[in-house]
Amino acid sequence: MRFIIKNNEDEASSYAANYIINRITQFSPSEQRPFVLGLPTGSSPLGVYRILVQRYKAGEVSFENVVTFNMDEYINIPRDHQGSYHSFMWTNLFSHINIPPGNVNILDGNAPNLEAECIAYEAKIKAVGGIDLFLAGIGEDGHIAFNEPGSSLASRTRVKTLAYDTILANSRFFDDNLELVPKMALTVGVQTVLEAREVVVMVLGARKALALQQCIEQGVNHMWTLSALQLHPHPMIICDEDATLELKVKTVKYFKDIERVARAEGFDQILPSNIRTDSNLKLVPAAVVVNGVHTPPCTSPQSTASHHLLLPPSTPTTCTSRSRSPSPDFTNDRMGSRIGDPAFTRRLTPAPEQQSRQTSE
Amino acid sequence: MPSALRPTLPQPSVTKFTNCRLVRGDSLVWEDVWVSSVTGKILQSQVAFYDEFITPDQTINLGGRIISPGFIDCQLNGAFGFNFSTLMNDMSEYGKQFRALNKKLVETGVTSYVPTVTSQTRDLYHKVLPYLAPSGSSRLASAGSESLGAHVEGPFISRTKNGIHDISVLQTPSTYSDLENVYGAANITPSASVSLPVKMITLAPELGQTTPSIIPGLRSNGIVVSIGHSEATFEEASAAVSAGATMITHLFNAMRPLHHRNPGIFGVLGTVPDSNFPRPYFGVIADGIHLHPTTVKIAWNAHPDGFILVTDAMHTLGLPDGRYEWLNGRGKDWIVKKGGELQLEGKGTIAGSSITLIECVNNFLEWSGASIPEGLKTVTATPAAMLGLKGVKGVLDPGTDADLVVLSEDISGGKRHLRVDEVWKFGVRVFGGASG
Repeated sequence: MRFIIKNNEDEASSYAANYIINRITQFSPSEQRPFVLGLPTGSSPLGVYRILVQRYKAGEVSFENVVTFNMDEYINIPRDHQGSYHSFMWTNLFSHINIPPGNVNILDGNAPNLEAECIAYEAKIKAVGGIDLFLAGIGEDGHIAFNEPGSSLASRTRVKTLAYDTILANSRFFDDNLELVPKMALTVGVQTVLEAREVVVMVLGARKALALQQCIEQGVNHMWTLSALQLHPHPMIICDEDATLELKVKTVKYFKDIERVARAEGFDQILPSNIRTDSNLKLVPAAVVVNGVHTPPCTSPQSTASHHLLLPPSTPTTCTSRSRSPSPDFTNDRMGSRIGDPAFTRRLTPAPEQQSRQTSE
Repeated sequence: MPSALRPTLPQPSVTKFTNCRLVRGDSLVWEDVWVSSVTGKILQSQVAFYDEFITPDQTINLGGRIISPGFIDCQLNGAFGFNFSTLMNDMSEYGKQFRALNKKLVETGVTSYVPTVTSQTRDLYHKVLPYLAPSGSSRLASAGSESLGAHVEGPFISRTKNGIHDISVLQTPSTYSDLENVYGAANITPSASVSLPVKMITLAPELGQTTPSIIPGLRSNGIVVSIGHSEATFEEASAAVSAGATMITHLFNAMRPLHHRNPGIFGVLGTVPDSNFPRPYFGVIADGIHLHPTTVKIAWNAHPDGFILVTDAMHTLGLPDGRYEWLNGRGKDWIVKKGGELQLEGKGTIAGSSITLIECVNNFLEWSGASIPEGLKTVTATPAAMLGLKGVKGVLDPGTDADLVVLSEDISGGKRHLRVDEVWKFGVRVFGGASG
């Protein structure tokens, strides 16, 4: 996990914004091959959106070939109500940038069949080849999207009842009147987020400190759904100093040191998702079968939790950068393959470079 | 990227203004506004984006300038050499000159107005009023400023508060048919088909049967009744308001002054409003000649939500100093223009003004210390509400007409001064600005 600690909210936001812009730029998206961005609402991303808008207006980034998927939307409030996430996104981001309306995806909380809406949403994500980068925030109870404490870590897009804590927190957008806050929402699942090739989470302010501590220093736990990020191959958390209040000094120092060294060595932004930036790659990779180990592509995810605890969830990325094979079966290795003689190089064990070649076929 | 769903239009149809401050109530807010030249209205941009996949065809960066709703003048007698109280041998010439005036007037920021006809003969009303009927239904931006219907100022006014109106044409009404006779029944009594040519009538409520029967009759026909050119006492004025008068024509001018034992028409603004007795709107001429600046400020403080700036400008607006003919009732008079001041030749009475509405706003801002949005409200939202055009004009809300004025703000020597940079009518730029 990359864990970036910035001095304050502004620095954290501009770090995240720069990171996203660099990603989009490096990706050089086209109409056929858009950059797919997952987006949150709430107070955490506000600074990021503000900077994205500034940079767009300065001509430093274009959203013409960016496709967005929002995390969630309330059920049964008018779409153009000022508290709706459609309105939030319009006011804070979409109205200021050049994203084509057809590239914007937000769950419809007024759909006649909410179940069907959720299934269609997952299908849409798959159809564009999955999400390249999911930006997220967290709640005080550690929820990611509207995956409240106790949500299955294998959950997908679905109808969710909001926790009382969340209703309290969100009442600030509804004249501080609890009665006006919708009690239900549509939300992407934890698993939907984990399947993104990269997840960037903003954690700002002292109110989020406990949640951050639980998610970073404690184990994977459905009571703090963000902790599932520990299972993701390329997560990044960006926080301000206030959010670190509950962390051990050691933890803070450790991650700050890592970043310092990384910067000094000049690899501030490694490209973990080079699999996607490789323009020769097909959008929907085929399932990979190596030595009988079936590795499903990200676009046909498994839905059982036990399965995910075994397999690193963002599977296409694991094709190139997975460090160990998932509890491999016995393989009939030969001493000859270890000699280095070209005659013996045909190995039977999975090799990363070989896998990636197979993936791209 | 323009939506593929929309047919290609020769002109950019959806314009987005950005980096601008909008007049919203009593404040200026940093917000974008989208207008459509197809509907001529302000778009609900969020709905357009999510439902219709519309994106702007052009985006105009205003560099922090102010967008106001288009100005509305409730009392304008003419401009640029043309007076609405004019008879011509060939009345089609009248229509031509009227249309020419509209194109010029829009450049001053006045995107709609109520052309005003003073006390005149029956003949003139019958011939002229049909030309002054509401013209907005064509929704043609190129037509310039839009008539909202005529304002007939007289002839049912007081003989002693006539101002410069010709006494010989003044009348006292006893029934509604007296009005129909003078103005023409088709001009003030609605038939099923079209909108009435007359929008507003200034009358003296103390005359004849005006208050008991005529005011309610006009009200029920959808005509705004304004008290003016009147000797009404406080009690008479209050009765007129109770009967349905909702406006006062050029407050303080051509009426009794405030007396501490009889506060007169102005006193109505001091009453406690309730649902049966809403305080009326009132027009104020802030040209620096008709009223003392302090008087303007007192009126503003008395009832800010009713305060409407009007020009009462004559056809001399936009003309050089000189001596100009004016058809006044049965005879001809001469008006002498010297700077901004107009006088009736030989009498020295003030004869209207030669001021634009934006100059009135600037005067008012200077004298009152009101904020810029408060000042602009007096020529936008307030007159629109007075004319029953809430939700149609006078505000920058989605669904209202896209009549806009782009204003620059100069602050020099401690004075705030607004300048009209661009004017947009029905979502189309009709004045100023480099083409974007």
